Amino acid sequence: MKQPSLYTLPSVRYRRKVTVFSLIVLLTVATCIYLGFDPLMLFTEFHYVVDLAGNMLPPNFELFRSNGHVWWAILETISMAFLGTIYGGLIAFVLAFLAASNTMPAWAVRQVVRFSLSLMRVIPSLVIILVFVVAIGLGPFAGMLTLVWTTIGTFGQLFTQVIENIEPGPSEAMYAIGASRTQVIRYAILPEIFPSFIANLLYSFDINMRAALALGIFGGGGIGFELYMAMRVLRYKDALALVCFTIVLITIVEKLSDHLRKKVLGAGALK
Amino acid sequence: MLPVIALAIAVEGAALVCGANIRGLNSGLIRGFVFLGQMFPPDWSAFPELLGPAFDTIIIAILGTFFGTIISLGFGLAAASNVAPRWLRRLTRGMIRIERAIPEIVILLFLVAAFGLGPFGGVISLTIGCIGMLGKLFADAIEEIDPVSIEAIEALGASKFQVIYYGVLQPVIPAIISFALFRFELNIRLSVILGAVGAGGIGLELYRAFSLLDYNRGCSALIITLALVFITERLSEYLRSKVRLEGALR
Repeated sequence: MKQPSLYTLPSVRYRRKVTVFSLIVLLTVATCIYLGFDPLMLFTEFHYVVDLAGNMLPPNFELFRSNGHVWWAILETISMAFLGTIYGGLIAFVLAFLAASNTMPAWAVRQVVRFSLSLMRVIPSLVIILVFVVAIGLGPFAGMLTLVWTTIGTFGQLFTQVIENIEPGPSEAMYAIGASRTQVIRYAILPEIFPSFIANLLYSFDINMRAALALGIFGGGGIGFELYMAMRVLRYKDALALVCFTIVLITIVEKLSDHLRKKVLGAGALK
Repeated sequence: MLPVIALAIAVEGAALVCGANIRGLNSGLIRGFVFLGQMFPPDWSAFPELLGPAFDTIIIAILGTFFGTIISLGFGLAAASNVAPRWLRRLTRGMIRIERAIPEIVILLFLVAAFGLGPFGGVISLTIGCIGMLGKLFADAIEEIDPVSIEAIEALGASKFQVIYYGVLQPVIPAIISFALFRFELNIRLSVILGAVGAGGIGLELYRAFSLLDYNRGCSALIITLALVFITERLSEYLRSKVRLEGALR
């Protein structure tokens, strides 16, 4: 039973919770007002969405039969992602050995490589594609080089961690019997990290597929560019067909990548 | 040997499709360096007027992450096997999977077509974009809760709402916060890119400066963007390590 006569102040924890909660609400409202963002607009102006849906449906799947150019664009996107993954992955692989503390003895080299990797990661891909489009020209080649760049940034760091986290036992045993650093890398470190390298490469392909789509819009070519053009000239039925195809494509790539990764790493290694 | 040959053929074929060749790369690199040289020095007078758009970009990312986390939490609950019935779980997981396959930029293109240019589309597309990643992560986190603690709360006679609040939400709060912070990092980058397609902010300034060949101004925008991404990354990492520490202590 509650005792109504007992008047106590709310506990410190309760007050803290209320303060945090009301601060968050106030801040959200303030930023919404600053930006002119009205979440209710999504419901009050919903007729625009209905109009757009009316314009988009049904998707024009005829596009894939009548227009061979679309298939070329799809091929471009896949090739872009593939080459970006392969070249980016290989360069990242080499750089990772230069950045890991157990394979690279020189402190200065390690720091330089690490710094360049983190610099590559910080630069947004928008800037990189803009620079490559100026340097190489519009088209999938610029998109592919952007993917190489971003893959090096993210996977260089990842591989460095993988190399640094290996079991030290085998390397130490080999050093003890007088093996050189190259021999240790070749016979102790490489076999251990190879499955993880392949698995990460597959994962990277999955990511690059999505990125390749987005890059197309900024001049990277491929299906992203086709989609952007279709939207610009208000051919919404074509655009929706392309989006449907994209969803299927990305889902297939994701499933395939997951399946192969499971195979490479052994069952149960990937959840 | 066969896989290596197959790989080499695939690489060659892909290079043909992309129009990638070493000569193009060489001449392109030279042009690229010349271009980078043209960007310097940055246009210092542009900095004050670029700070406003940079602030817009941050706000879009914050609001997108905030609303996205709330909505994803709903999706996460509906997709967790220990909370939702089977049919709802199947349906929600399917929706999450489909969302994950659509890049945010495509969502934005459709929103721009419906609502016009402006930060509104940016916030909404980031919000929707959160569902694919956070929804799945939240659902997995909720499914990993020890069923004993939920049973214990049920045994005390708690209502369905109380079970969800105390038994399901409370234990995953550290996970929610740290995933949301991680997503915020991504959203800052996305917000820059979405800006160029029509959400406004520093991304638009960057894109416009490059298209108008005003490279010095582009360099200023680039410096601000780099600072933005770098600071948010550090901040999010710091906060996440703090959340992890507190979560571990509890």
